[in-house]
Order: sequence, then C-alpha cells, then structure tokens
Amino acid sequence: MNTPQSSPPPRRSPEQLSGDPAVSDSLDFAGHEFARASLDHCVKCTICETVCPVSAVTPLFSGPKFVGPQAERFRNGESVDHSLDYCSSCGACTLACPQGVQIAELNSQARAVMKADHMPVRDRLISQTTLMGTMMTPVAPLANAVLANKPIRTVVEKVFGVHRDAPMPPAQTQTIQGWLKKRGPRKTPATRGPIVFFHGCAGGYFEVETSKRSIEVLEHLGYEVLVPKQGCCGLAQQSNGLFDQATDAVLKLCDDLRAAGELTIVSSSGSCTGMLKHEAHEIMGVDDERLKDVATRIRDMMEFLLEVADAGELPELSPIEMTVPYHAPCQLKSQGMGMPALDVLRLIPGLTVVESGATCCGIAGTYGLKKEKYEIAQAVGKPLFEMVRDTNPDLALCDTETCRWQIRKGSGVPTEHPVFLIHQALGLS
Amino acid sequence: MRKLAVDVVVIGGGSTGVGVVRDVAMRGYSAVLLERADLAQGTSGRFHGLLHSGGRYVVSDPGSATECAEENVIVTRIHADAVEPTGGYFVTAPGDDPEFADKFLAGAAATGVPAREISVAEALRNEPRLNPGILRAVEVQDGTVDGWQMTWGAARSAMEYGAKVLTYHKVTKIDRADGRVSAVHCVDLKDGEDVRIECTFVLNCAGPWAGQVAAMADCHPVDVIPGRGIMIAMNHRLVNRVINRLIYPADGDILVPVHTVSIIGTTDVKVENPDDLAIEPVEVQEMLDAGEILIPGFRKSRALHAWAGARPLIKDSRVSSSDTRHMSRGMAVIDHHERDGLDGMLTIGGGKLTTYRLMAEHIVDEMCRKLGETRACRTASEIVPGSENQKNYVVTHRLHDREEDRLEDQIICECELMSRQMFVKAWDDQPQATFDDIRRQLRLGMGPCQGGFCSMRATGVALETKHIDIERATGLLRLFLKNRWIGLWPILYGDQVRQTALDNWIFNGTLDIDHLPAPEEEVKL
Amino acid sequence: MIGAGVAGLTAALRLARAGLNVTLLTKGVGGLQLSQGTVDVLGYSPTDPATRVANPLAAVAELAVADPKHPYAVIGVDAVRTGLAFLHEELGEQLLVGDPETNQLFPTAVGAIRPTCLAQPSMLAGICMDGARFAIVGLRRLKDFHAELIAGNLARTPLPDGGHVSARHLTIDVPARPREVDSSGLTYARAFDDPEFRARFAAELRPELRPEETVGLPAVLGLKDPTAWSHLADLLDHPVFEIPLPPPSVPGMRLNNALMAAARAAGVRVINGSFVDTPVHSGGRLVSVNVETAGAPRTITGDVFVLATGGFESGALTLDSYGEVTERVLGLPLAGLDAAPLLHGDYWGGEQPLFRVGVAVDPSMRVTSPDGSAVPDNLWAAGGILAGAVRWTEKSGEGIAVGSAVKAADAIVEELA
Repeated sequence: MNTPQSSPPPRRSPEQLSGDPAVSDSLDFAGHEFARASLDHCVKCTICETVCPVSAVTPLFSGPKFVGPQAERFRNGESVDHSLDYCSSCGACTLACPQGVQIAELNSQARAVMKADHMPVRDRLISQTTLMGTMMTPVAPLANAVLANKPIRTVVEKVFGVHRDAPMPPAQTQTIQGWLKKRGPRKTPATRGPIVFFHGCAGGYFEVETSKRSIEVLEHLGYEVLVPKQGCCGLAQQSNGLFDQATDAVLKLCDDLRAAGELTIVSSSGSCTGMLKHEAHEIMGVDDERLKDVATRIRDMMEFLLEVADAGELPELSPIEMTVPYHAPCQLKSQGMGMPALDVLRLIPGLTVVESGATCCGIAGTYGLKKEKYEIAQAVGKPLFEMVRDTNPDLALCDTETCRWQIRKGSGVPTEHPVFLIHQALGLS
Repeated sequence: MRKLAVDVVVIGGGSTGVGVVRDVAMRGYSAVLLERADLAQGTSGRFHGLLHSGGRYVVSDPGSATECAEENVIVTRIHADAVEPTGGYFVTAPGDDPEFADKFLAGAAATGVPAREISVAEALRNEPRLNPGILRAVEVQDGTVDGWQMTWGAARSAMEYGAKVLTYHKVTKIDRADGRVSAVHCVDLKDGEDVRIECTFVLNCAGPWAGQVAAMADCHPVDVIPGRGIMIAMNHRLVNRVINRLIYPADGDILVPVHTVSIIGTTDVKVENPDDLAIEPVEVQEMLDAGEILIPGFRKSRALHAWAGARPLIKDSRVSSSDTRHMSRGMAVIDHHERDGLDGMLTIGGGKLTTYRLMAEHIVDEMCRKLGETRACRTASEIVPGSENQKNYVVTHRLHDREEDRLEDQIICECELMSRQMFVKAWDDQPQATFDDIRRQLRLGMGPCQGGFCSMRATGVALETKHIDIERATGLLRLFLKNRWIGLWPILYGDQVRQTALDNWIFNGTLDIDHLPAPEEEVKL
Repeated sequence: MIGAGVAGLTAALRLARAGLNVTLLTKGVGGLQLSQGTVDVLGYSPTDPATRVANPLAAVAELAVADPKHPYAVIGVDAVRTGLAFLHEELGEQLLVGDPETNQLFPTAVGAIRPTCLAQPSMLAGICMDGARFAIVGLRRLKDFHAELIAGNLARTPLPDGGHVSARHLTIDVPARPREVDSSGLTYARAFDDPEFRARFAAELRPELRPEETVGLPAVLGLKDPTAWSHLADLLDHPVFEIPLPPPSVPGMRLNNALMAAARAAGVRVINGSFVDTPVHSGGRLVSVNVETAGAPRTITGDVFVLATGGFESGALTLDSYGEVTERVLGLPLAGLDAAPLLHGDYWGGEQPLFRVGVAVDPSMRVTSPDGSAVPDNLWAAGGILAGAVRWTEKSGEGIAVGSAVKAADAIVEELA
C-alpha cells in the first residue's frame, strides 16, 4: 500500500526556498524547470544505464535512469535520494540518450537542491580551483612535496575528505601568464588576424605546457594569439552543487574573455570549454547574453584545428611513427562535436591512434578526489588504465587536465594533450 | 449455493458503499458489502483525484461548498495516508471575467470555505509553469486523494468491525416478502457460485448503477443520469497544487497533481449506459486546449493515459436533464417505502467523493430511523487502518522508501517505484486478483512505460507465488496489456507514441508475445 | 549518414569500405542495442501474421507481388541477400550464424517460440525441436527472466510439426556482485566476462542439472568475451543457450558495439550528441544540415545524405497532439497516411496502421514523394524510416535495415563514381 514512510525529510515549500538567503534563483530553477521537462522524453529504454561508468562498478549508485527521469517524477523541490551523490556528472548518460532526456543535468540539479541543506567543507574547498593554483604556484616544489607526502595527505583526507591517494595536479614553477610575460616576441609574423586563447585555471597554473604548445601551434598557423587575464569558469563549484558561486565565476570569466574583442576563442581546456558552451546554461540555468556570446564563439583546441583542416588550411604534418592511445574525456564528448582530436590526429602520417572506448576515466572533475568516491573512481578508470598501458607505455593522449592527472596516476603512463603531437608534427618540438 | 445472513446488505463498492458499510458496521450491525468488480473500480477510481476545498461550489452550490470544506478536514485526518494536502489555486485565466473573483471571495466567506487572494506574482513564483497571463489568484485548501486507497482504508476499517467485503460478487436479484426486503442473491464471478444473503435491510449505493439495482427489487425506475467525464493523466507534476479556473464551473477547468502525475479534467456528457464510456477524440482535444490555457506548452508535455468516469447523479426536476453538471451535487436518499411500497431498502445518489463519509452518515441515519433505533455515527472521529500515524501522503515517499530498501529488494515497476515485496504481499492477500486490481492499489504499470517493462515481471513473480498456474498467468498478462491500451490509444501522441513503439518492440519483437499459445478463453477477471 | 541503428551503421560502414568520406550524425546510441540481437529477415507473413515463414528469402521474393507496398517489394531479395552477407562478413561467425534461407525457432523470455534465421552462436542450442529437453535456469537477482514462466509456456506450446519440447525450470542465486539483489542483465554480463565468476556459477548450477539437459539461461553470458558462453558450457558439461531479454539487451549491445567499432575503424567520423535539424536546400538538393553542438550549431555539408533515423520508436517519425504525423529531420512527405483509422482500441485486434507510415523510396532507395511535393535529389533512406512494414510483428527489422542500407550505399557509390 502507499503508506507514507515513517519520517520523510521535512518538506521545503517554494516560499521557504525562496526565502532562504542561501538559496538563489538558480536553485529555484534547479528545483523546477528546464531539464525536468525533458524527463517526459524518457521511454525507460536503459541505454543510459549501459554507458554509466559509476553504476558499472558499484551498486551504491542506482544508475542514471533511476536518479534521473525516474526519481525526478517523485521530487517536489527536494531530494530524498541521497545516493544520487554517487553520480560523477560525467554526462555520458545525456550523451547516450537517443530521446533527449537531460539525465545528467537532472541529477546535477537534484544534487544542488540536496546540498543546499548540507555542504561538506571539502566540496567548497576543492572547487576553489584558482585559489588552489595561486596558493601553490610560487612554492611549487614545496607544494609537490607536500602533496606527495603520505602523512600530510592522510591529515588532508581526515580533515577535508580528499582521498590520500587521489591524483593531484603537478604544481609548476611558472604560470602561463608568467611565461607569456617572460618569453620574447613571436618568431613568425601574424598573417591571419587575432584570436583569443582561453587556458582555464589548470592550463594557467598546472598544465602550463599544454597552454604554451597550443599558443605556439596557433601562432604557427598565423594567428595573433591574445591571452586576456582570465578567472575560473566555476565548473568545479557547479559539479559540487555550489551554483551561486559558479554562476558568479562563469559570468566574470565571460566578461574577461569578451574584453578581448569579438573574436574566435580557442581553448585547450576541454572541460572548462564545456562549462562555457552548455553546462552553465543547461545545468545552472544561467541565461545571460554574455554567456551566449562566449558559448557561440568558443572552440575546443582540437575542434578548431579540425575546422582549419577541413578548410584545407592545415600545413603539412611530418610523420610520427607511433601507436598512441587516445581517451576522449566525458566532458568533451558531451559537447556533441564527435571526437575532433581523433580526426585531426589521423592526419599525421605514420601515427596510429587507438581510441580508448572508455566512457570516463573516473575522475570526473573533482569526483575522484573525494574520500568516499576514490575507490569508485579508480574502478571506473581501471579498464582505461590497462588499455593505455597495453597500447603505449610511454605516451597517452587526452584533452582535459584532471583526466590526464587521473590517467597518469592510474596507469603510470605520461599523458598529454593531443596538441603535443600536432606541435611535434608541425616541427615545433 | 452459499448462504449468509446479516442485518444489512450494502450494494456497491465505491467510496459511498464502502463508507456506508463502515458506518453500519461501526454502529454495530452485521453487514456484507457486494461489489460486482473491484473496490472503487467504477466512479470512485475514475475521477481526477481532487479532494475539494469547497471552492468549486462557493458560487454555484453553496450547500455543497460548506459540506466539502468540513469533510475535507475530516477526510484529510481519517484517511491521512490517502490524502496529500497540496493546497490549490483558483486563477483567472486571460479572457476570464476578473470580477468573478469577487463573487468567489464573497461566496467563500459566506460558506465557510477558507480562501485568500494572493498576488499573481506569488502564484507564479510558487507555480512557475502557470500561464503568466493570469489576472487574479485565490488560494484555497484543495487537496488530492487516492480514491482507491481511501476506499480500501474504509473497507479495512469496516472489516475490523466485522463487515464482510465481497468483491467480484454481482447482485442478480433482491427478494421481497410481505412488502419487505428479505434477501439478496448474487453470484461470485470468480468461481460462478450463487450466494443468497438473508437480511433485514438493503442499502443501494451503486451510484450510476443504482437504477439497475433498484429494478432488481421491482421498484419503479430510479432515474440516474450518468454524466460522463474524461480525464487525462500527464506524465509528471506540471504543478504541485490543484489549479482551478476562477470561473463558474465548466469543462476542463481543473488540473490536479496526484501521486507522480497531474490530471486534467473534466468533461460532462450525458450518457445512457455507465458501462459504455467512450473517450471521444473531441473531448480529448477539449481537455488539451483547456490545459494549454492553464499551462502554456501543455500539449507538448506527455499524456500517459485517459479514462472516463460516470457521475452518479439522481434526476432533479430543477434543471434540464441534459445538463448534468448543474444538477444538485447534494445527495439524495430515496425511500422505497413511499414510492414502491417496499420496506427495508434505501437508495442513495448524487454526492461526490470528498463527501462520501457524510453521505454514508445520512443514509445510515435514515436506516436507523426506519428501524426505530438510535445509534450514533462515529466515522468522523475514527482513523482508518493505515493512517494511524497521521502522516499525510507526500510525493517523495516511494523514492524515500526505495532509497532505504533498494539494496535489499527488487523494483518491479520502475516508473512507479513498486517493489517486489509490495507486489508479492498484495498477491498473497488477493490470490485471485488481476494485475489491474493490483494496479489500483500499488500503481503497477501506471507510469510512463504503461506496463512495457513491468508487466512481464509481474507475470513471472505472480506465477512464482504459486497462487496461479501458467495459463492464468499468461492470460492475466494479455488482459493487462489489453486494458492498458484502452486508456492509451485515445491520447497516443508525442512521447507516448515512442513509448508504445518501444513497448511493441519488446512485447512483439523480442518476446513474440502474440504467438504464445492462444487461450481457449480470455481471462476477464 | 543520419542515424546509428543497424541501417545507419551498415550503410556507413559499406560506404567507408568503398572509400567514401562518411560522417555519421547520431543523437545517442542507436536502436540496435535495444534489439534481441538476432538478425531477423521475415518471421511471419506481413499479410497474415499468424503464418510462420519457413524460408525468409523465398518469402521476401514473393512480397514484390503479394504486398507491393512492403519495403521488401522495393528492396528486392537480391539486396537483402547481399546485405546479410555483408553484415555476416563484418560481424563474423563469433557473432552471427545461420542461413537466411531457413528460419529456426528460438525460445523467448516469456516462453513463446520465435522464428529467426541469423542468431548469435550462444543461442543455437536453444532451437526448439521435438524431443528437446530444456532446463530453464533463472537467476534470483535478475528480474527480467522468469524461468517458471518460460518453461511453463514452452512446455505447452506445440511445435509446427506437432512435436514438443520438454522444459523444466529452476532458479539459482549467484550474486553478480555483493550487496545487490536487483542486478541488470548488463551487470551479469560483465560478471560473466570474468572466468572466475563463470567457474563459481558453474559450480552452483552443475549439481542441479540432469543428464541430457540443454541449459537455457538469460542472454547475459558475457559482453566483451565472446567465448564466455562456450566456456560456461564446458564447465557445466551441458549445452548452453541464451534467451534474449528486454533492454538492456546484451546480445543487442554486442552487435552494436561491434558495428560501431568497425565503422570508426573504417574511418567514419562519428558526431554523437545532437539532434539534426535546419536542412538547407539548393537547386533541388540537400546541401547541409545542422547539429546542435554545445554552444552553437555546426553545419555539416555533404554531397549525398542518407536518412536512417528509424521509425516512431526512435522519434524519427512523430505524431503530435493534433494527429499530424511528421518526419522529424527533414519534414519529408510520408506514405501510409491514407489508412483510416491509423489507430484502433483493440490491443489484440490486429495491427495499428500508424506503424506502417514512413518514407517512400525508389528501387535505389532514393527518397521519393508519395504526394508530388518536392524531395531532394541527393537523399537516400534506409531501415525503419521506410513505409510499409510493422517490423516488430513480422520480425523483419534487421532484414529491411541491412537490405536497404546496402542497396542505398551501393547506389550512392555508383552515383558518386
């Protein structure tokens, strides 16, 4: 019988929600609209279940169909099914859904509503990406030593809930802005006009080499590359349900990028690009002309190179005799542009690229850093790590930063952005 | 032939009949309730789920308004588990007369129906899908109620007081001797056995079928005017409160969030036969248009299922018989002594589900008066089984329950989150049930896939309970799919077409269900 | 190529094999994954669904006369034969065995017997023949496979030649993973990929089996390891067969994964994730379509386009609340709308004509206009979008798909040569 359970969590009326200073318009949105309407398209076909990397490795997560369109019919501005927090927000379900159900978005929104009540300190801290970078850069060797230090990591785990073995970014001695200031004038003249380069926080502080090589490739193609001062896109906050902070961050970033002019924006940070292209709008409901403008103009680095190649404007590439594993990150695939890296790398003579076939590496932004998710994230990544090691123990390719950290840590294989090989094939390294 | 002897036979297992048998039993009479199908399979299960605040009648029928307001409070308490106190809005849609709101507020004040005008901005903030063009909004205390669950709750209460509730027992004849009712004959439809029940009183609560029952006692025709109304369930809650049009009651003016769905209702067309209720395409279009006025984009949202119910209205000379909506909602008790020279039988008609308890009280009072006895009604103060903890229904409850037991139990109906244990328990309690009987209690197959994924599971699990054999199991599956389709095809558009095509791929394509051994005779109940 | 079901993947692969530059646009995973994982050509007569077809290709050849509106009447038996051979070659004997001239009868998950001609090797031991002795084995934690229902119905179903199979049921409880009682077929398939799990499973089941029994199990015997089922049979020392389940269908996934991998390896550029819209026409030809890539639409141009989007089940055809049927991507004119009524209220009362509605094509699978309105010259169609068949009833889905896909692809190769 439909007997109400003994003690449901207290119901929050919309009045209470909107009267709560900690709860914003975007959360109201999360409670009500947009993705929710898409649940009508679900025909229970289970395709989403078959691609979910988390439910594949643990029964603790009830799977995307359950927590998405199924559970949403039972939600009324509140989230009683706390197991939805096991969702890594990789977005594979939304991508696989033939019906157009915004499954991952539904989950992210339900999580935001759930977390409005109780937010672990850890989820606030991890998501402060810029802060983490600025704190670590000047003292990189020390930071790296600290992060490699087991006892210290154990304390970090206890206090903040970040798993002691979780992959951490390698702090660098130089930021991209530092490099730009110190390097000399460009060697070749700009023949194709200006474009804007967006490196993202990780590309600014940790994966500086990726940013450098991307800039050099773009300059080699003849572009004048503008690198405006730029803040964080707020993705980490968004994926931890901190919609207010994330919204502020992404709009501020839009202002930064727009300040450089109405130009094409190219980014080597696949996940931040996704935040700008669609996640801020589709998950948090940010409906702002500045965001729309940036979303329309921004291109992923490899997507941009494919457009150049399709236009017949990519210079000849020198051969690289190598077989290399390539993993397309979930946050890149979810942008619905196929796998441009695969198509561009195919143009390098001699190079055999093996696509990983893996849905997700497990890290899913900050998911795999968390104490209670670490084992799951490692289990998710395991087949990928094995594939990478089996294909080429010396080099793997992947477009996003946290995924590279995860693959490096999980497989022990040096993992770089695909632009590295383009850089090489263009004779720049 | 089986034989029974009781004080009172109650005919009709809708909310009224069950309310009556509960009341009779609580007053100390021995009683049997006879229902030819399942409880609340007729009108009480085929409405929109609204527990009236009374607001709907404050202008058109003030007496009903006051009754509704009072019974709303009682039903919300005694049937706590079947009722969700959602609250409701009456809204002036674009084009509606904004001054009606003033009449409404005055009527509400006069009839004791709690009502408060709120700003349009507040209404839109709380119900963001509402038409932003609404002109005025009044908040009332509408709720929603699961008619099946409420009826079963009252039936369980009656059984605790010793009443027998016999479903699938069809009345065939009412004996009279010396101007009095002496016995009721019925047939057990499941096994074909005849049953004769001696009694001193018969209470005819058969609603739209009350005329047919009265005829079995050779009474003069009781003019019941069945008014057909269609309802459409939409896939999810488009609103979280009952939304009414702030106009004189009309077709398609109400949207009710019940369980996981929202139900738009309803039409009103006079019909001859309450067993033959078509869902006319023109009425479906009328409902969708009406929905579009309340919720822009309504037609693009997903319709799951449609059904028709028959209002049990007794003919009233004050209005034309073709206009059933404006006939008296008030209940009418017909005394067969005066009109037919028959003692020991009363017929009740009219009323509405919200006031089912009050109707029962009235007819049982009348019976006591006839019997010359004074026994007080206690149904308003006693909580029915299942509602003891006084917690009202919340839409999240099954999600919460499954969150608790997901790792210990299987989910058979995923759309409505019905677990295997829930199903098995219901089956053990009613081994002769059909899947539709279980559906009415547990919402099996009532979600978006409309049985596409759960009906094969239900068939397998039912067989494993050992209460039925392979032929009946397969027959029940065929019956369930047949019955689901009756409510599906009239609203088959949009996402539900895709669902149907996928379901067909599963049932015909993968399972080849249409080439199972043909039954010698289809299972019907 | 628009669509990634069996028709889209087959056509894309064949075009790529012919050296063409193919971009495949898809919204999500294609419908092949939802299928039972066999390749059906024709199981029942399209004009009389009660009649089982013994020789599918022979029956297809007859349809040109018997049912001229049927897609097979336009596709023709030769293209079907070519298509099946192509698919067979691409998938290999590890995934597909059988003879398109002969239907065999396989048990379904409700215990009906279902005809098909090409099945996965893991299903073969389940062919229903007089005197067969089946032990149908359910898994306690898998809710989509009820051994008692299957065995009960199989045992009471007469075979076409009047014979019978005997079938008994048993249910065992071997968890696919700890702490889970509601495991999907896919979860079990992943477990069966692990030889250790197979050994554990076999150790539980083997003592329950009787001599001479053939073991029927849910179709979950491995997803990635094509030898999982035969290894299990060795461990049990009994023949083993798989019975397909409703989605998630592991046999369907095997076929889908294999075809998608082959298409990618053959150089097909796959763009997944967006609905296709905004067709641009010029001079009677389709020039480009848009995909709603995140951020802003991207325009995809092509010399020719193939519409392989499926039927109502995929949303390629829609019926709106006013009763209007629309082809979703290009708004093409449709055939089959003249049937009245398109739907009726008797579930067991015969086909619903709505599901025969679709796109009309000429014998090269080029889209034609049934009502004289304009259609692009460079547009082909294949698979479920074609008008004229209720594929789930007659069991013709894959045959129509691969026949039309290969025919369209070959015509395109010729056109572009």
